[in-house]
Amino acid sequence: MTAAGATGPAVLAAHGVSFAYGADPAVTAVDLTVTPGEFVALVGPNGSGKSTLLRLLLGLLTPDAGTVELLGHPPRALRERWRVGYVPQRRILDLDVPATVTEVVASGRTARRGWWKPPRPADRAAVEHALDAVAIADLRRRPVGALSGGQQQRVLIARALVAEPTVLVLDEPIAGVDRESQRLFRDSLVHLVEHHDTAVLLVSHELGAVADDLDRVVVLQRRVRFDGPPSELAATGVHLGVHADDLPRWLEDLQA
Amino acid sequence: MSGGLAGIAGLAVLPLPWPFEREYMQLALAAGLVIGICAPLIGTFLVQQRLSLMGDGIGHLALAGIAAGLLLEVWPVWSAMVVAAVGALSIEWLRSRRRATSDLALALWFYGGIAGGVVLASRSTGGSGAILPYLFGSILTVDRSEVLLVVLLGLGIVVAVAAFGRTLFAIVIDEESARVAGLPVGAGNALLAVLTAVTVVAAMQVVGVLLVAALMVLPVATSRNLARSFRGTLAGAAGIGAFAVVAGLAAARQWALAPGGSIVLVAAGTFAVVGVVGGRTGTRRTVLVEAPAPGTAPVTGRDPHEDHDHDHPGSGSG
Repeated sequence: MTAAGATGPAVLAAHGVSFAYGADPAVTAVDLTVTPGEFVALVGPNGSGKSTLLRLLLGLLTPDAGTVELLGHPPRALRERWRVGYVPQRRILDLDVPATVTEVVASGRTARRGWWKPPRPADRAAVEHALDAVAIADLRRRPVGALSGGQQQRVLIARALVAEPTVLVLDEPIAGVDRESQRLFRDSLVHLVEHHDTAVLLVSHELGAVADDLDRVVVLQRRVRFDGPPSELAATGVHLGVHADDLPRWLEDLQA
Repeated sequence: MSGGLAGIAGLAVLPLPWPFEREYMQLALAAGLVIGICAPLIGTFLVQQRLSLMGDGIGHLALAGIAAGLLLEVWPVWSAMVVAAVGALSIEWLRSRRRATSDLALALWFYGGIAGGVVLASRSTGGSGAILPYLFGSILTVDRSEVLLVVLLGLGIVVAVAAFGRTLFAIVIDEESARVAGLPVGAGNALLAVLTAVTVVAAMQVVGVLLVAALMVLPVATSRNLARSFRGTLAGAAGIGAFAVVAGLAAARQWALAPGGSIVLVAAGTFAVVGVVGGRTGTRRTVLVEAPAPGTAPVTGRDPHEDHDHDHPGSGSG
């Protein structure tokens, strides 16, 4: 899966990153890199620090120790922030908004275009492309609030893709998504990695349909417990299937 | 609006039909239409941000600003504008820093503003009664210079929404993603706060500070139940706001009612009618009820792009 040149400079990097909420450490001494065209999953049970690490990587939190780099820059120093595509958890958003699919997807292009500029033909073409990429072109005029969970998830992915990002970060994109949407979701991620050299970091406690397509899996439980190809993890008896049930057991054994 | 503009230009009173055949009604119509259109435009963003009562909080602060102006003997509109803008920015600051929840921050200004207004006014030459015209508005007595001011402020609001509406939309639907994408979230929220303050001050003499928030929220609530798009919600809310002004002024003229209250009652009545009729004929609200729960099959059953092979235009172009 990894595209040629995947060993280039990291698009996302954490070096010895630690963060604590008050006295409770959330992540400790985490090293993580994602290179262009790489498809990486960050997995771990609930409370393992995944969301905290994600927020640190996106520059929404500042580490207590260590450094984070987005496309070679500290997050605050990166000027082209739109090159980092972000798909938040659908469940934390208020999607009961009176807005069409097209309007929500087009809003993802605002930062790249320049927030003071009106849309140009290239922006409209990018919206069409993004709608096609996740197979929601036929839903374009529907209000997002009237869509199924899986369809809403694809709208959020299209909103991230419309800026044509260098790296795409997805937070729990599979949770509560129907099987058909999972398959379309998997196809669009694989397409991005293979044809657009986009790096993908998927943060999830379940991997569903994408488990077989990953270049690397990073298992987090406050620290990085595993970082390697899925086959190596499978060799230890952990199968990252639908619910990754093996993972918590494996982590317990590891600590024993 | 043309009637008011004609009046400002010193032209003769326009030959409009009843109830707008008199000059004072044409001036009221001009000022009212500007507010009826602009207040819901700003309100559409506030409602999405769950700050429906922002206009009310700012309105109470504007009252303190008016009283300060009366006390200091400066033009109350300017002092109201300054106090409202600073207050709006401070609410936004409290909210964004999570120093206080939105409703708590609003409550602080709500009560602080009205108490400050009463106390300051009691020390001014007119006494507490001097602020009464601003509580409920005095649209039937606006003069040409006041209409001109409202029109200019309204133009500023429309231009700002046209220029920055897309950015504000991206922020109000998902602030965190907008922040990650590098949009100026703080500046956008500050702009929205200041636009709210400008709208409140512009609307002060039309419906009064106690009712200004109603025009920011009621037409939006109605339009949200009818429109499928955000653009449609904006246009619908502005249209309903304009209708409320025309019908409210007509009712006020016909039955000698308080015009500000009549305008707001028309807006509230429209919401009730649309709610009842919409519930029967299937508008957006019923669509939501029919939508399957998250995790179930797509509404269409079979996705129209099932066979899409991702060989879409631009593939491989990066």
